[in-house]
Amino acid sequence: MTRKRIVVALAGNPNSGKSTIFNDLTGAHQHVGNYPGVTVEKKEGACRHDGREITVVDLPGTYSLSAYSIEELVARNVIIDEKPDVVVDIVDASNLERNLYLAVQIMELGVPLVLAFNMSDVARARGIEFDLEKLSRFLGAPIVPTVGHKGKGTKELLDAVVAAATRKTAQDMPNIDYGREVEEEILKIAAALQTEASSADARHVRWLAVKLLEGDKNVREKVSRTVQEITEKSESHLAKIFGDPAEIIITDRRYGFISGACQEAVRSTVEARHTMSDRIDAVATSRVLGLPIFLGLMYLVFHLTFTLGDPPMGWIEKFFGWLGGVLETWWPKGSESILKSLLVDGIIGGVGGVIVFLPNILLLFLAIAILEDSGYMARAAFIMDRLMHKIGLHGKSFIPMLLGFGCSVPAIMATRTLENQRDRLTTMLVTPLISCGARLPIYALIIPAFFPGRLHAPMLWTIYIIGIVLAIVSAKVLRTTIFRGESTPFVMELPPYRIPTLKGILLHMWERGWLYLKKAGTVILGISILLWGMTNFPKKQTFDRDYETQTRQAEAACLDDVRGLNSKFGLATGSDILVRAIQAELDMAAEQKKHHETEPGFAEAAKRKDAAIEALGRQDGGDRLMKFLEVRQAIRDARAAFDGAVLEKKLVEGTPGYFAARSGCDAALANLQKAEPEVYAAAIRYLDNIRSSFEGAAEDVAKARQAEELAYTISGRIGHALEPILKPLGFDWKIGTALIGAFAAKEVFVAQMGIVYSVGEADEKSEALREKLKADYSPLIAFCIMLFCLTSAPCMATIAITRRESNSWGWALFQLGALTVLAYVLTLCVFQLGSILGIG
Amino acid sequence: MAADKRNRTMATTMESVSASLEDYLEAIFHIVAEKQAARPKDISGRLGVNNSSVTGALKLLSEKGLVNYSPYDLITLTREGKTVAEDVVRRHEALRDFFENVLAVSRPDAEDAACRMEHSVSRNILNRFIDFTEFVEVCPRGGTKWIAGFGYYCEHGSRRANCERCISRCLDEVRGKKPEEKGAPRMSISLKDLKPGQKSRIVKVGAHGGINKRIAEMGMTRGTLIEIERVAPLGDPIEIKVKGYHLSLRKEEAEGILVEVV
Repeated sequence: MTRKRIVVALAGNPNSGKSTIFNDLTGAHQHVGNYPGVTVEKKEGACRHDGREITVVDLPGTYSLSAYSIEELVARNVIIDEKPDVVVDIVDASNLERNLYLAVQIMELGVPLVLAFNMSDVARARGIEFDLEKLSRFLGAPIVPTVGHKGKGTKELLDAVVAAATRKTAQDMPNIDYGREVEEEILKIAAALQTEASSADARHVRWLAVKLLEGDKNVREKVSRTVQEITEKSESHLAKIFGDPAEIIITDRRYGFISGACQEAVRSTVEARHTMSDRIDAVATSRVLGLPIFLGLMYLVFHLTFTLGDPPMGWIEKFFGWLGGVLETWWPKGSESILKSLLVDGIIGGVGGVIVFLPNILLLFLAIAILEDSGYMARAAFIMDRLMHKIGLHGKSFIPMLLGFGCSVPAIMATRTLENQRDRLTTMLVTPLISCGARLPIYALIIPAFFPGRLHAPMLWTIYIIGIVLAIVSAKVLRTTIFRGESTPFVMELPPYRIPTLKGILLHMWERGWLYLKKAGTVILGISILLWGMTNFPKKQTFDRDYETQTRQAEAACLDDVRGLNSKFGLATGSDILVRAIQAELDMAAEQKKHHETEPGFAEAAKRKDAAIEALGRQDGGDRLMKFLEVRQAIRDARAAFDGAVLEKKLVEGTPGYFAARSGCDAALANLQKAEPEVYAAAIRYLDNIRSSFEGAAEDVAKARQAEELAYTISGRIGHALEPILKPLGFDWKIGTALIGAFAAKEVFVAQMGIVYSVGEADEKSEALREKLKADYSPLIAFCIMLFCLTSAPCMATIAITRRESNSWGWALFQLGALTVLAYVLTLCVFQLGSILGIG
Repeated sequence: MAADKRNRTMATTMESVSASLEDYLEAIFHIVAEKQAARPKDISGRLGVNNSSVTGALKLLSEKGLVNYSPYDLITLTREGKTVAEDVVRRHEALRDFFENVLAVSRPDAEDAACRMEHSVSRNILNRFIDFTEFVEVCPRGGTKWIAGFGYYCEHGSRRANCERCISRCLDEVRGKKPEEKGAPRMSISLKDLKPGQKSRIVKVGAHGGINKRIAEMGMTRGTLIEIERVAPLGDPIEIKVKGYHLSLRKEEAEGILVEVV
């Protein structure tokens, strides 16, 4: 019995330093989860003291236990239902009266209570002196002074907890005297309650009666009609006497009790003066500087997130590239193994693509944690509330929406700071309309393809503005329809500024970053595999066109051209040594495609080619052939040296460095030409005409094959099936297929378009893709594509995070559906109207 | 009809008399009323202008047939001049009374404003001013106390919250009860109307919606001393210092909180 595990619930006001104490007590032994059914975070930890196992449950930070918000209800239910052995209330000693309001309510619940007077050093510095013994007697609970961020008082707190948990006799807790009139009504209600449930103990019955009088809906639902009627009668009776509702009278009396206690046991020796925090606020929230400072800080957050995040993003990308490369060597080169494709393209490609954002996201969370822990977040809400209130949201909604410009995923995670569920859901649902960074490649591909230079910037700006306007309008619509209701009051504490502790912000950052990683490992993994399957299956076995023959035809045409070179540099017209040499090269390339460079087969192919050429060199005219090959190699080397220099030193055309490299290359070529003008001319002709046109033809064949394969797969078929629906928007099946890819991640749209248009690995700078797009679509359709991508179904990561944060698939699917419908209707209107007006 | 016609003739006469000439006519009218006839010196003294401008104005007025004037002679108003002058005076008085009695403006300010407005207000509007002044004094929903309330309103701005108190006081009076008055009656005003830096004591927390309790629970209970710290840069939420910490409220939430300035 005495060795029993002690369960401690940690209660306290927001900003009372509760999480610091929680971290002090439990160290790294924490478990973060959610309370069932709600999105309130549940943190649990464990520690040992005096040889006893102690479980610490961190309750959500609340000002009261009135069930005003979900957090308060959760905190109260844990105390009542889970019956912790001890409740520790963390009290900010420098802000005693308001903090004691919660303590008094816990005291009324009659559970063993220990008070931790946190930040007692701050209080002392402000000249506040406590008579702890007296206060402890008034409140019926032991008081331990602590200094959370220095870890002081933790041991004493645990001593008090163990003592309270093992006490034999019940703690003697005082009742608050609510005054004659109120007490009479409490007695009446309590009597009615007692007759109905005689087993309940007196203290709990009194608590229920007080809560009923306070108009607590949660308690009221649980009592009988008779009790409800008695309560209503009492309420109106009290309202007549005092002219105020009973709930206000009761709150008044509780504060009266507190200030009575404080008057006797707390002494302030120094006149209240302006604290450091006040002085910071005089600047940071001033009418003139408040806004510029806020905007500057936001800019800084963005800037740091994306600039500091860049290098580690590169490392992660490299790592996944390397990992993919290593995995690939497990299979023979060019293998069409499904498992390899799944691992490399599906899993590493998909999950890697999400994890790449981890540095950005961690940095963003770091910045948010600093803003939050320092107390600036409340000021940001204070400054922006006027604007956000206009669209029915709370000032705190601004931060998530701003983050939406970077990435919707951390933006939606940042809605956690919103207390009201309606506000939170509204913000979550509209955030994807804010154009995120991943959509930029789409605009970057399309705008230069369809619009003249002077319209580039205005076009991009228009798209972003459309996103913002849509978000605002949608928020307003949501708040007046589905999420109708009183807008959340802005009754918010502006806590004093504090220097955040390193441990605190790192923990904050890590908790959220971990959630993101977990998501990448589960939902995104699943969807990546699904999308991979959709773009790879079913595999086409027989192709409409015979690509093999086409490749061979291209090869034959190339060799024919090569034969024509014979006479150009003094080789007999009928000689086939040049053709055979080129043939040997092509054979080697084909052979090498089947092997990794590290495999013996790779080197063997090269050896075979060398041997073949050497044999040819000994034949008639062999010296001319060798000369040709030598000159050709020299030209290639000179050009490669130039390209290498440009790439390595990042030379730009027109600069002296570029000019120097250029002239070096030209001089080398001129020397070659002077020495062997005929051979040089033939080699140049080979390289620039014959070889390059062959490579182009071979590539075209490969791409056509890829496109045909894609059209055959599920996503290609879906694209085709969607065509009738997409037609009114001006879209064809190619866009439809690319849109399915865009669901994986918005930027995939560009790559997918590249595959469909068989231009190989396309990125947003691909001129070839732009040309093809221009041939197929009008500027109006191009605008519609951008509009659709901006508005439509957010990427799967966003859907997954909405599901997580809203704790329901319903809202995630609603977001998916509503945004898609919105995109469809909007694009339909724009395209049809534009067509009628003859634009584009 | 007749009145209309008269108005029209008046209007045409008035148009031909400029604003400053009207001032001369008015001055002459008052001087004549006191001394039977006026001298240029009297006029210049009353209007605070120099003699030469008086001579010029008199010449103009006599050309319009409004005054009998020849150099070195006493000045009187012609019949037409008297009508115009009487009209100006009437307008002046009506405006002044309205300013003073209804709008609760001080006498000198009322005179001053009337002087400047009398020239431009049309007769129709003027009649409405006069009618409204009478209506306010007579109507049971108005009355002199109500007018006094307007003066208070002008000084302190709009606040709904006081209505309850005012109406109950009004009912008390109707029922013949004397309103309880302890020394100077201290009107409680809405927290929303306090300026940054002002300290006050909470009288009642009566905001609309269900947030009363929330506000009270944050320590804003009756009798608590609070201080307005600042208004947000965009002008809406306000920051209040209460029980030693800082709380922010929107103005719409602060509206229902009644306070007494201390």
